[in-house]
Amino acid sequence: MVSGALLFQSIILGVLLGGLYALLAAGLTLYFGIMRVVMIAHSAFLILAAYLAWYFHRETGVDPLLSLAITVPLFFAAGVVMQRLLLARLRPATLTMMSVLLTFSIALVIEGMLGYLFTGSQRRVQLGYSGASLNLFGARVAVVKLIAFAMAVLAMLALYLVMMRTRFGQALRATIQHREAAQLVGIRTDRIAGYGFGLGLATAAVGGTALALDSTIYPSLHWHWIGPLMAIIVVGGLGSVPGAAIAAMVLGMLQSLLQIPFGTTWAQTIFYIALFVTLVFRPQGFFGGRLAQRF
Amino acid sequence: MRRDSESTRGLGGVLRIAALLLGAGLILSFPAVAPNPYTLTVGIGILNYAVLSTAWNFVGGFTGYISLGHGALSGLGAYGTALLVTKASLPSFVALFVAAAIVALLTVPIGFAALRVRGASFVIVSIALVLILLLVFQSWASFTGGSKGLVVPRPFPDLRRAEHHTVFFFLFAGLLAVALLTWWVIDRSHFGLGLKAIREDEDKAQSLGIPTFTAKLVVFVVSATFTALGGGLYALWFGDLDPVFQFSVLTGAYMVLMALLGGVRHLFGPLLGALIVGSALEYFKLEYGDTPLHLVATGLLLGVVVMFMPDGVIPALSTLFTRFFMPGEASIREVTAAELLDGNRHEAEKRDADAGGSVPAAATRQPPNETSEVR
Repeated sequence: MVSGALLFQSIILGVLLGGLYALLAAGLTLYFGIMRVVMIAHSAFLILAAYLAWYFHRETGVDPLLSLAITVPLFFAAGVVMQRLLLARLRPATLTMMSVLLTFSIALVIEGMLGYLFTGSQRRVQLGYSGASLNLFGARVAVVKLIAFAMAVLAMLALYLVMMRTRFGQALRATIQHREAAQLVGIRTDRIAGYGFGLGLATAAVGGTALALDSTIYPSLHWHWIGPLMAIIVVGGLGSVPGAAIAAMVLGMLQSLLQIPFGTTWAQTIFYIALFVTLVFRPQGFFGGRLAQRF
Repeated sequence: MRRDSESTRGLGGVLRIAALLLGAGLILSFPAVAPNPYTLTVGIGILNYAVLSTAWNFVGGFTGYISLGHGALSGLGAYGTALLVTKASLPSFVALFVAAAIVALLTVPIGFAALRVRGASFVIVSIALVLILLLVFQSWASFTGGSKGLVVPRPFPDLRRAEHHTVFFFLFAGLLAVALLTWWVIDRSHFGLGLKAIREDEDKAQSLGIPTFTAKLVVFVVSATFTALGGGLYALWFGDLDPVFQFSVLTGAYMVLMALLGGVRHLFGPLLGALIVGSALEYFKLEYGDTPLHLVATGLLLGVVVMFMPDGVIPALSTLFTRFFMPGEASIREVTAAELLDGNRHEAEKRDADAGGSVPAAATRQPPNETSEVR
């Protein structure tokens, strides 16, 4: 029988993991909303950011959190460039399919370059507080996991504020909702879409740094992330940020709980089972609106 | 291709048959002229890629649905065959067909989930399929051998190595011929017309009474069967399976790259792509060894093809050919939805430019699904 303390600990860990999933899924949802693009390279950029944080720490010895000051603007710029120079130039009629291939090829290039530059061996950031853990109501939680969760929550809060409280956010939401109408009221939708992409990629930078804090990283790790993330956005309903966040939390928690009886590897299959069940019984996802039914 | 005027059809037909015979002759004489067993194994590898990529093209070419997960289906075919031989001690080639049948059956529920909605979910399911199967086959080591690998007994134990390769070269060539023939038959059939209508505009196809869901499912199962046969034949030839290579997203990516590079709308597109990419991969392995750089090269090539040549080499070359040798040909051409949209856009842009460019060009730069949705 599983003890209550263990169960509680799993739930806490599940929530912490779910926070990171939610942040990354929000980025994926953003791309999908803007261009109907399934961005396979999202998790590759996540691992790239984790590597940059690790490399930054190794070279300078400073806390990897500070690498955010470099990676976030860098990734934002990369997102803008990617959208304007690559994705926006694909043929509209086959955009959804071709953009998958294009972002897939970007993921391959990133994975290959990481493997070439840093070799395939596993890397880990060692910090003074890496081993520390806190006692939360009887559950032992590593400090780095708490920091990662806090970063995810802060980044999502920032994203929410940008989307809801700024003029740019308003323009971006208008572009997502109805591109032509947005153009009619004078929004430069092409430019806004580019910035939106940059914003999405910036979430990968934050997520990657958080990931570097408490995980071992290696170049092909991104495949372990893209599967769960894509399952999350489908279960939540393509294009719905709250749906993705809720799905991320629920699935992260389920994964954490299932690890007790089945072990880490088999627990991962919950994402794929959820994906399959969702598509069979509710193909538009659980929170998707009109948009999700068509993709 | 079938739109040539009457006068050239005879000549074109003869030329085409001659080219076909020449190509088949070249392929079949390859084992005899191959200087060493290594070259022959490269040839087998390329034929294997050609089979897989042609099998992929049943879905990708006809319906336009891009699957990145066909690697999973070939891996299932390979492991299915291997497990049926080792655990159920079926004869090798019986196991091959039983495994393909099992994969075909498995594809029905997978396709049911993946094909109910449009493209994006299909791609997601296809990738998820590879990832989940890799997980299962690695973890379930007691049954599949896990990362240690699974050794498949040879189907012809008394053949010497070189003869073994030769036999399998012809087996792969035969499978490729059957796959190509099936593709050709579907291409000319009413069923194929429906599939192509789905590719061009699924909403319109549906409104014209094409049973889109069933059609997609049927062609997906056909594609999976050929993919599984290709994978199973590979297992019998190579004799050693590892989940990391069998359930690799990269295998699926190669299939897409080959088909796309050759031209997904053309019967021989995937074969041509397999020739180019297969030789390039082999050359790369010889020159640079096993570095992660082959990922970079594959990624870059795929990116370039997607950006600049989404229709493949064959259309690019045949346009050139037509322009130089048959000017004034083809007054009525088959036009794809994408070309039509592109043409309309250019026209609209030109009109706008003439009129002073008041309407933003981006207004016409919408995915068609979206515009039809909002209007």
